[in-house]
Amino acid sequence: MTTMSPATTTGDRKVARTRLVIGLEVHVELSTRTKMFTRTGNVAHRDHYDAEPNSLVDPVVAALPGVLPVMNRRAVEMAMTVGLALNCTVARFSKWDRKNYFYPDLPKGYQISQYDLPLCGDGALDIPGADGTTKRIGIIRAHLEEDTGKLGHELPGGLRYEGSLVDLNRAGTPLLEIVTQPDFDCADDVVTFAQELRNICRFLGVTDGIMQRGHMRFEPNVNVVVFDGAGQEHRTPIVEVKNLNSFKALRGAIEHEHERQAKQWLEDGRVMGPGAKSTRGWDDERGITVLQREKEDAHDYRYFPDPDLVPVVVDDAWLSRVRAAVPELPMARRARYRSEFGLDEKDAHALVDDPLLCRFYEACVDAVHLRTGSQVPTVHPGFAVAKLLLNAGAKRSNERSLPINELGIAPSQVAAVVVLRDEGVVGPQAADALFGLLCDTDAEAIEVARQNGLVAIRDDAALDRWVTEAIAAQPQAAEDVRAGRTAAIGRLVGQVMKLSGGKADAKAVNEKLRERLGS
Amino acid sequence: MAGGTNIPSIEAVCDGVRSRQSSAVELVERSLARIASLEPKLNCLHETLKEHALDRAARIDAAIARGEHVGSLAGVPIVVKDNIATSYGTTTCGSRILENFRSPYDATAIERLEREGAIVVGKANCDEFAMGSSTENSAWGPTRNPWDTSRVPGGSSGGSAAAVAAGYAPAALGSDTGGSIRQPAAHCGVVGVKPSYGRVSRYGLVAFGSSLDQIGPFAHSVRDAALVLQAIAGFDPRDSTTAEIDVPDYLAEIDRPVEGLRIGLPRRFTSPDNDPAVNKAVLDAADEYARLGATIVEDIDLPLTDHGISTYYVIAPAEASSNLARFDGIRYGHRAELAPDEDLFDLYARSRAEGFGPEVQRRIMLGTYVLSSGYYDAYYKRALQVRRLIKQEFDAAFAKCHAILGPTAPTPAFPLGGKADPLSMYLCDVYTVNANIAGICALSLPGGFAEVEDQLLPIGIQLQCRAFDEPTLFRVARMFEAAHLQDRLACPVA
Repeated sequence: MTTMSPATTTGDRKVARTRLVIGLEVHVELSTRTKMFTRTGNVAHRDHYDAEPNSLVDPVVAALPGVLPVMNRRAVEMAMTVGLALNCTVARFSKWDRKNYFYPDLPKGYQISQYDLPLCGDGALDIPGADGTTKRIGIIRAHLEEDTGKLGHELPGGLRYEGSLVDLNRAGTPLLEIVTQPDFDCADDVVTFAQELRNICRFLGVTDGIMQRGHMRFEPNVNVVVFDGAGQEHRTPIVEVKNLNSFKALRGAIEHEHERQAKQWLEDGRVMGPGAKSTRGWDDERGITVLQREKEDAHDYRYFPDPDLVPVVVDDAWLSRVRAAVPELPMARRARYRSEFGLDEKDAHALVDDPLLCRFYEACVDAVHLRTGSQVPTVHPGFAVAKLLLNAGAKRSNERSLPINELGIAPSQVAAVVVLRDEGVVGPQAADALFGLLCDTDAEAIEVARQNGLVAIRDDAALDRWVTEAIAAQPQAAEDVRAGRTAAIGRLVGQVMKLSGGKADAKAVNEKLRERLGS
Repeated sequence: MAGGTNIPSIEAVCDGVRSRQSSAVELVERSLARIASLEPKLNCLHETLKEHALDRAARIDAAIARGEHVGSLAGVPIVVKDNIATSYGTTTCGSRILENFRSPYDATAIERLEREGAIVVGKANCDEFAMGSSTENSAWGPTRNPWDTSRVPGGSSGGSAAAVAAGYAPAALGSDTGGSIRQPAAHCGVVGVKPSYGRVSRYGLVAFGSSLDQIGPFAHSVRDAALVLQAIAGFDPRDSTTAEIDVPDYLAEIDRPVEGLRIGLPRRFTSPDNDPAVNKAVLDAADEYARLGATIVEDIDLPLTDHGISTYYVIAPAEASSNLARFDGIRYGHRAELAPDEDLFDLYARSRAEGFGPEVQRRIMLGTYVLSSGYYDAYYKRALQVRRLIKQEFDAAFAKCHAILGPTAPTPAFPLGGKADPLSMYLCDVYTVNANIAGICALSLPGGFAEVEDQLLPIGIQLQCRAFDEPTLFRVARMFEAAHLQDRLACPVA
């Protein structure tokens, strides 16, 4: 809920307060190896990301006379997993329909889609709302279709071309369209939902979710409820903003529409009604939406069942096989990391932000358990690994511009550092340094620590000498500890660490000080 | 020699090639010679594939000389309707919009024919995109009936039917959406088979009405037609609508007598509106079957088939309007020259207006209309409901009989230009559309002659069997043919 400030007045119309109403359509390009209805490579699969224009084309893609589509079962399975993750009902019977219209990026003159019987329907996703509550966003449907090609006016190399050029690489890429209920009332929640959905899809392995490549595209339907302060509500006409491919654009378009629609209402007083829906595009440079099409009913797509394809029948066996393959989803994972490992929300988020990092993290945790066996470490491995990755790891990741999971350190090495640290064999700074060194070698952690003098010193003679020196240097602290104010021991430990160049085993130092000062 | 009773069977021709008593090259040369002498009169082909055919024939002969395995159609020249994609020659569908179009791939049916050693010698003329019943709607001019060149051969596969009748090749492929194989077969005095929907892959058949289209063979005899269907039938991973049902051996029981079979003879099929010679041929055939020991079942009625034409002319144009959208002048085919002030819309509108003939345009408009919002329920949805009822009606009929006998077309071949208004042309298919609507198998075989203006014109009789019961269809047809082969006349063009 947002309030326009201050109350604005034009003529006899007045805006006291407004409420946004937003529904979202999301298009997800599925990363199957081959296209939706033919065996040619899919541009949304990483093997084909940078394919030359029109190199992912076969007779089916080009819609040559006589060709027929054949359904890609894997794409249907991927769509089913997303549907299940969004708590949808997977239809036991769905079918393919043709959506007829002419455009040069649509080779057949129709798009194969699902009209009245979508594969998935009636779901919901809970998201952490901007207001601190949990918001439940209803999912109306999720159906499969095929993507179109692309029109361009630039030749490879950037030269401008006078006419239009058609690239059919994207034509026929499996596209999952997810439609939410108009359950959002602010841009923040829409963006949270969009990010959560992207994360879910990436965990499900159905897309790499690279926004710049158009793997996900958003189309919010936005209108505003204007409260005029005189007890009346006015609903502005619905605007669909097409093809947003970044979270920034998604937020910007919604916020811009919020303001624009309220102003527009002040000017013309137009409200929602038949034919009052319009389509707008997003101008990223100017940060505004621009009108594309005034009336939604200009198109008659003449949908009818595609006679070239057979209906999709999902039996129990298939559904349970797909269901079994759905992994633990990001929200549940974050909750588990908080409750089991004691992580805070921020750290949990950071680890679950990327499925590859998350997989790496869990591999590290598993490796710690493998190393410690039945021995219970003092710090929970999930917590210790998280801290190591998000501190020592994040630091190297920044320095080297590589994701944490690609730094070169193996999960078993991460686990070794955690165990060495837990046993006090290395100190905190040494652990950090050791992590850095292990990014460039696959040697055993303990060997690397020894070779680089990172093993904490527990030698009695050395420790005794430093303890004596520390007590001499900090007499007041020593006095405090003797008097039972044990917190002061930290100052003495710090002094020893300083004297030892950080190499003294802090635990051993602590014990020696307590022994010496009789606390 | 074409016509008469002395045409060698395809099996005999292949045996000759395999045993090197004749050769594939010889067969192709004979076929090409016949094409060269008769094409100026008949216009059966849009393109003769001379080099391709001779080259393939030489390869087959060489393979035989090396003792390699060659298939069941080794060396057999075949004519293929021009709406079936071949990777050689052109595939134009009788349309200016595909003038000079060369397909980069072969239809599955073509691959399978070639796997058996058949040789495509020509692409047959047809009504544009298979829309018509006379082969007059071709951008490349009409094909003429070999029995009387002032008459049409039927359509839309008129070029394929006439080519077989005129002896261009022992067999041909056509496509049948509402009768386009059976009706020209009847008019040209040859056998034409519309297989069950899903029996033959449609991959490479340029779609007209996708839920109705099937590729099927023309031949001089039922046995030859069965042999060709045997080669092309079966599941194809590239066509999801093909059935995953094994293809039985069509020749295994083809000569088994019909004794004990029940043959349905719905009274409404011998309507007084038919040419009397057509009704006589059907009734004579019924008598013949009775004589051969079959039981004639008159107690079957298919009242809903009266709605076949109306149902068909909603479903087929609806699908066609969408299927033909790809011919937009963007990627291939005819593209209009634009004036500087014209835009994308003009490019579509003008390319299509220039490229498609009037009948195709009429059906695109019909189909677009019946799918439009506001009309969909009244026309398209209604037609699908009637379709379901017609299927049920056939199911009920086939509970009482093994095959249904009737006419293929209401009249013998009519003169060129004889059916000027579209509706009278549509009614040529009144007896054939229902098999497509119901998805069952059907064939037309020569059943006699009509004497029209001192000319003898062939009459076809139609047999229909339940879906995937081609073995019974061939068996029933074969029995009649065996009893009547001596009545066959040579096609006068010979």
